[in-house]
Amino acid sequence: MTQSILKGIAVGALALAAAAAAAPSAMAQDGRQIRIGAIVPSSGPFAEWGRTNTVTLKMLEDKINAAGGVNGAKLEIVIYDDATKPAQAANSLRKLAGDDNVLAVAGPLTSSACEVTFPVANQMEIVAMSQASSKPGVAANNRPWAFRNTVDEAILAKASVPYLAETFDVKDIAVIYDAKDAVSTAIATKIMPGILKEHGVEVLNDGDFLSFNTGELDVSAQVTKIISLDPDAIVIGADYSEAITVLREMRRQGFVKPVIGGTPLISSAILHAAPDIPIIAPATFYASMDEPRAKEFVAELQPLLKETSGLPESIEPSMYDANIYENVSMFIEAVEKAGVTGNPDDLAADRTKIRDYITNLKGFEGLGGPISFNKDGDAEKAFFIVRGEGEKWTTVVHGCSSQGGDC
Amino acid sequence: MLLQQLINGLTLGAVYTLIALSFSLVMGILGILNIAIAELFMLAGFIGISALMAGLPFPLALAAGIAGATITSIVIKFVAYDPVRSSPVITPLLTTLGCSIIIQNVVVNYWGSNPLQLPFEFLGERLRYGPISIGSMQILVMATSVASVAVLGFMIQRTRIGRGLRAAAENRDVARLLGVSADRLTIVAFALSGVLAGIAGVLIGMHYAAITPYVGVETGLKAIAVMVVGGVTRIWGALLAGPLIGIIEVMTIAYGGSQIRDLVVYGLMILILLIRPQGLLGGRSSDTGQRV
Repeated sequence: MTQSILKGIAVGALALAAAAAAAPSAMAQDGRQIRIGAIVPSSGPFAEWGRTNTVTLKMLEDKINAAGGVNGAKLEIVIYDDATKPAQAANSLRKLAGDDNVLAVAGPLTSSACEVTFPVANQMEIVAMSQASSKPGVAANNRPWAFRNTVDEAILAKASVPYLAETFDVKDIAVIYDAKDAVSTAIATKIMPGILKEHGVEVLNDGDFLSFNTGELDVSAQVTKIISLDPDAIVIGADYSEAITVLREMRRQGFVKPVIGGTPLISSAILHAAPDIPIIAPATFYASMDEPRAKEFVAELQPLLKETSGLPESIEPSMYDANIYENVSMFIEAVEKAGVTGNPDDLAADRTKIRDYITNLKGFEGLGGPISFNKDGDAEKAFFIVRGEGEKWTTVVHGCSSQGGDC
Repeated sequence: MLLQQLINGLTLGAVYTLIALSFSLVMGILGILNIAIAELFMLAGFIGISALMAGLPFPLALAAGIAGATITSIVIKFVAYDPVRSSPVITPLLTTLGCSIIIQNVVVNYWGSNPLQLPFEFLGERLRYGPISIGSMQILVMATSVASVAVLGFMIQRTRIGRGLRAAAENRDVARLLGVSADRLTIVAFALSGVLAGIAGVLIGMHYAAITPYVGVETGLKAIAVMVVGGVTRIWGALLAGPLIGIIEVMTIAYGGSQIRDLVVYGLMILILLIRPQGLLGGRSSDTGQRV
């Protein structure tokens, strides 16, 4: 008898201990949940960005829940991998909105994925906010539910091109781009040529831009052709991983001229490709930037990234980690301040409240400064033109994407 | 620019030749297209570059890359070829495609999706002759490509293993009656294709001083085109078709427009298949080996 009582006590104690271990660390959570969705590319060509995005979101989730949740409700971020495939991103959004009943979605990352996913967000009436898409007009074509916490590449190029032209006395330039990437193609073939001409820079291969395909290692023929044109600088329309191939080939053929591109160039990996070739690119965040909130974010996230398997040792928080952190933080602020209940019966009304809150948001405290949204659904925020050389980024121009220039 | 582009084309062609040889060996002997070879050379590139970055000398890095690709190739033989060897040809094509996706995923999970870059100094010195220049790695890639074809050709024609491979390819049943072990030779064919993919991967990685997990698809497809154009059953065909495709691709970029180069390369492949289905150096159309 005594034995069975002791056994019962032991089992009860173990069950209690297990329940305590399983309970969330949040102190003020009352059983309600606030669900936010996220679409990131954890596999495929941008897996690094997707994986660091995931670590960032987990960090934010833990931080919010440890501080008592969102209005007392537990925050749950449901994350799906789109493998950088537009169709998979659109399916993920359908699942998040239709099955998981999330209140809003952070992502997808690429412009190609956004072009397919934003119309679905409009159809299902749920906010989708990209952390990286910057091809002109992608959110504007899908109002009122599509947003991008990024600055249009055309606005950024208007600041980076004059810096390049004046600093390096650039009179003519040649263009090369990754033909399989939507934003890279837009930057290289549409945005840059027009702005370069406005600043008196001749595009030597205008109408015959050189291209390569994502994943190609050999761009020797393209670089030899560029060298034969003898330009003062090069436009590279590509994300950093593809641009590395071009930079390495330039260096291999002994062609050391400045390079200009869009936000997809920003990464720490590109700095090691050819440290003596100056790279001019725009950013709204970079890991070594000198802003208090950004420094705090990096100090918090960096150790977690280092602990994560499948990420290189030199990994640093990316601009897109900062953006997705801000995206979900804005959703949380909307939930807290716009009277979102999180009740399943109020789902449609809650989603509309979040959309309206974001639409009218002014001066949200982002990592690089205040954030608002323009009528196109794109962020109005501070940006920097940075110069990569000698394995580090340095800010050379400060700018603001709002019409009044007030960030 | 013309001479420099010719050198670029020959180097690119040598890269295609090395990988096409690997495809050609399995295709010619076993009659299957082992799609996973495209990722085997990528895997070898990652292993080789990692070994170099860890401070190992080039011969050991090359050996590590070859070992990685060869072992993986033999594993593919057991898991993706043996169980479906009696199925229609499409089945091993699909199982090896599955293996290629798995290899790419493993590499992305282990090394990440960023390009793996060798330190700056590995870009190497270039020899300059007036307006043209050539890197030492370019010369090594071209020389290895020619040497690989020669060694493989010698092996297939002159050695006991080669005779066995040819006999098995010609007629499996008769080969068995003559005492040739088809199972053992299948392992040899997969192992040899792994060795070739391994050599290609490490050399390509060193030549570009970088490798990405997504290089397999683009380069692998071009290598298949080289194999088809050269003649599936004739390894010497790869030595002719590789530089031919490489030079045509490079010249299209230089003088025709980079946007149409794939159209030109694959258009040429279709044209040759229409005019000469057995490829440039292929024998009679019936001269395709049976599956072992």
